[in-house]
Amino acid sequence: MTTPTPTPALRLIGLSKAFGDKRAVDHVDLEVPGGSFFGLVGPNGAGKTTSLSMAVGLLRPDSGRAEIFGVDVWADPVRAKELIGVLPDGLGMPERLTGREVLSYLGLLRGMEPEAVAKRSQELLEVLELDRADSTLVLEYSTGMRKKIGLATALLHAPKLLVLDEPLEAVDPVSAATIKVILQRFVAAGGSVVFSSHVMPVVEQLCDHVAVVTGGRVVASGPLDEVRGGSSLENRFVDLVGGQPVSAGELSWLAS
Amino acid sequence: MVGILIRMKLAVLRHSMTGQRAADMIGGGVLGLVLAGGTIWLALHDWPVDGLPLDLVGAAFAIWTIGWLFGPVLFGGGDETLRPEHLALLPIPPRRLATGLLAVAFVGVAPVVSLVAFTALIVVALPVGGAAALVAVPVVFLQLLFVVLASRFVTAALSTLMRAKIGAILAAVISGGILALTHTGWVLKPTIQYALTAGFPENLADWVRRLPSGWGIVAVEAAGRGDWLLALAAPAGLAVLSVLAMLGWSALLVRRLSHRGASGRPARGRTAAQQIRGGGVRAVIGRELRTASRDLMRFHYLVFSLVYALAFCLLPLLVDLPIFVPFIGVAFGIWAAAISANLYGEDGTVIWQTVLTPGAARKDVRGRQLAWLLLTAPAVVVLSVVPTLLSGQTWAWPWLAALVPALIGGGAGVIVLISVLRPVPMTDPHKRSGNLLENGTDFTQVLLMLVLVAATAAPAYLTVRYGPDWAGAGVGLVTGILLAWLLGDLAAKHLEATGPDLLATMRASTSRKSNLSGDVDWDQITASLGGVDLGESRLGIDRASPARRAVIYVCFTVCWVPLVAQGVVPAFLKYGDPDRDSWFVARLVPEALHWPVVGVMVALGLGLIAVGFYQLRVARAESRQAAVDQVGRAPVLTRQPEKVDELNH
Repeated sequence: MTTPTPTPALRLIGLSKAFGDKRAVDHVDLEVPGGSFFGLVGPNGAGKTTSLSMAVGLLRPDSGRAEIFGVDVWADPVRAKELIGVLPDGLGMPERLTGREVLSYLGLLRGMEPEAVAKRSQELLEVLELDRADSTLVLEYSTGMRKKIGLATALLHAPKLLVLDEPLEAVDPVSAATIKVILQRFVAAGGSVVFSSHVMPVVEQLCDHVAVVTGGRVVASGPLDEVRGGSSLENRFVDLVGGQPVSAGELSWLAS
Repeated sequence: MVGILIRMKLAVLRHSMTGQRAADMIGGGVLGLVLAGGTIWLALHDWPVDGLPLDLVGAAFAIWTIGWLFGPVLFGGGDETLRPEHLALLPIPPRRLATGLLAVAFVGVAPVVSLVAFTALIVVALPVGGAAALVAVPVVFLQLLFVVLASRFVTAALSTLMRAKIGAILAAVISGGILALTHTGWVLKPTIQYALTAGFPENLADWVRRLPSGWGIVAVEAAGRGDWLLALAAPAGLAVLSVLAMLGWSALLVRRLSHRGASGRPARGRTAAQQIRGGGVRAVIGRELRTASRDLMRFHYLVFSLVYALAFCLLPLLVDLPIFVPFIGVAFGIWAAAISANLYGEDGTVIWQTVLTPGAARKDVRGRQLAWLLLTAPAVVVLSVVPTLLSGQTWAWPWLAALVPALIGGGAGVIVLISVLRPVPMTDPHKRSGNLLENGTDFTQVLLMLVLVAATAAPAYLTVRYGPDWAGAGVGLVTGILLAWLLGDLAAKHLEATGPDLLATMRASTSRKSNLSGDVDWDQITASLGGVDLGESRLGIDRASPARRAVIYVCFTVCWVPLVAQGVVPAFLKYGDPDRDSWFVARLVPEALHWPVVGVMVALGLGLIAVGFYQLRVARAESRQAAVDQVGRAPVLTRQPEKVDELNH
């Protein structure tokens, strides 16, 4: 007895991107099953952000394809972008608007009803504890607040797939707990999440699937338990990426 | 500490004395020495009126002083070879650091050149008498002390002010006024001619001496008369002002090292979603209007346009020339478009939201067009109608009826098209320092826009010129609407197709620039040596050959003389005052040749601009090639990989 394979939430097929001589992403193939909580881990400069940018239509790949629920991101971008909510890392926001205004304008731009936009914005701001900063421009937001308003814009239109680049970086522990609960609820309700991180315990705590990226390539991918193979994700990660322990003789003057 | 700081600065200067930068520094130094020589020549020349050398040298000193005080504001930054921020973590009290940095300010090309110029005071004092010459010697040094310290203080004060609305206005008034003055300088010619043959008018001569820049002249004259009290009081005054400037600067420095200002006002009142209504385009309009009302830079640009338009059109009233008065609105409209053509570059990487929102690109373009129209069109109309009514220049009505709709429609089209086609990436707003001076606009962009926006009014202009009066209004309205619609459509199509590429451009630029502000980039800092940063790296021509860059500067500087001063202006002037007319070549030839000469002048000006743009393209290619060559030769890359990494991460 065979069940038809459901369409993956996100599929990357041979994605490549080079900046000058450096190959940032080198033929990445990746499949994110629908309804999964997918962690993308890798060291700094591994190509996580570049891959995710190409996957959601923010960076044009040199070659390869990206599909969201079977829709080609670069062939039918409008359809694909209706299905996703994205939190990019380190990109700008409309700086001279308040958080509530950002949400309102983006919602209206997506063609949502003004009442629905107002109601959802209010809820999102409350849950993310941004409602007390109602007269603060995004320009004056702290790094953590910027993450939270970015997450709110990603959630506003109730997407089917969330693509989040380092969503928990620089967020305080209380807000991080809130965000984790929101994401877990989103997955429980049938949504899919892809998020990048280099904090292994967070990935282990949240994700059911994981992929390890290094040097622009995927070196391991699959269900969490398969990838870590009995060991901890951190140990497995260091094995795969090839870290170098600091020997005892170095920096001996530091504590003298 | 002062010794160490000076050694530090000298080391930076020494490291920058290679290739291109050395050529720049030597070039700047030579130019400065020529100007200083000119100042001394004013003192030596045999003028027809007694006492004229003193007046002229006083006036020249006033210009040198104005250059020191406002040059850094106009051309960006000022001498920041040693940045206080980079020394802020040292265990040195801020006031001591300030004193040390001030001492360092005297090391450099510009102070040396100015010292040479100020020796004109000794030259001009010799004929007055031995005692006067003796007084002049220390005063020369005091004057240098004064300009350097006052320059530091004024630049720092304006930088601080620039973070507030009042400062944005002040800066706009200064830069708009000075720019308009250089474009309408011809109105001053009769006055200058009169002054050189008959001597300075009394009140002007008084003013030259009343300004601190003329106190040296006062001291010399007083010593010549034996008025020792005044001969001592004038230099003492300079010394007091210098001390005040020093105290002021160190106070501002302490502030600078301990504050980070906001660059806009906070949102006022409750901005609940209930107030925000309507569909996509209206959402964009709302966002743009709110952004404009909270962004100091956009506000600054609008004030600049207004000041320029007022000064350019009202200054000719000094020589009884009211024909420019009806065109205040037109001049404002052209500038308001010219400085609004980097909409996407100014917003930076936030374009990702438009890229990711289905169907948002077209709404974004249309919304930005409408927001620009809402902001500028009413002002253009009011600035056209009211001055025309007040001045009684009723002949201008047909011109205004044709030009105003053509320009505001054309402007609304050109701004979005150029914003999309030729974005000049800027640091992302949240990574900018609060200082407007560091986020200057792109000179080429503005020039290009001035030409393009003016061109959109060409059909309307030609219709009024050669056709019946009534037709102009129709042509203006039709071309305005058509251009706004068509160019906006083109921009939307382009944005839909290339949104991700636009984002890639912004992202690369932001990561590079944040890198520069993150660590001490001495190269970048020394590029602004001598106080003048021409923004060559921003233009992408910093590695092109000096000769080519010189051609570009000459083209874009000189083109205005034939185009505006010898072409457009005499085309509008009626025959009249022979004294005034002697400046215009078109007036020195027989009347039949008037129009051909005007035509040749306009063509010459446009030709220079074309050559300038062509050379700019070549220079960019050359610069890129030079950068590639250098990377190829250098064994170790320091910056390039970081850039890629940051992009990756």
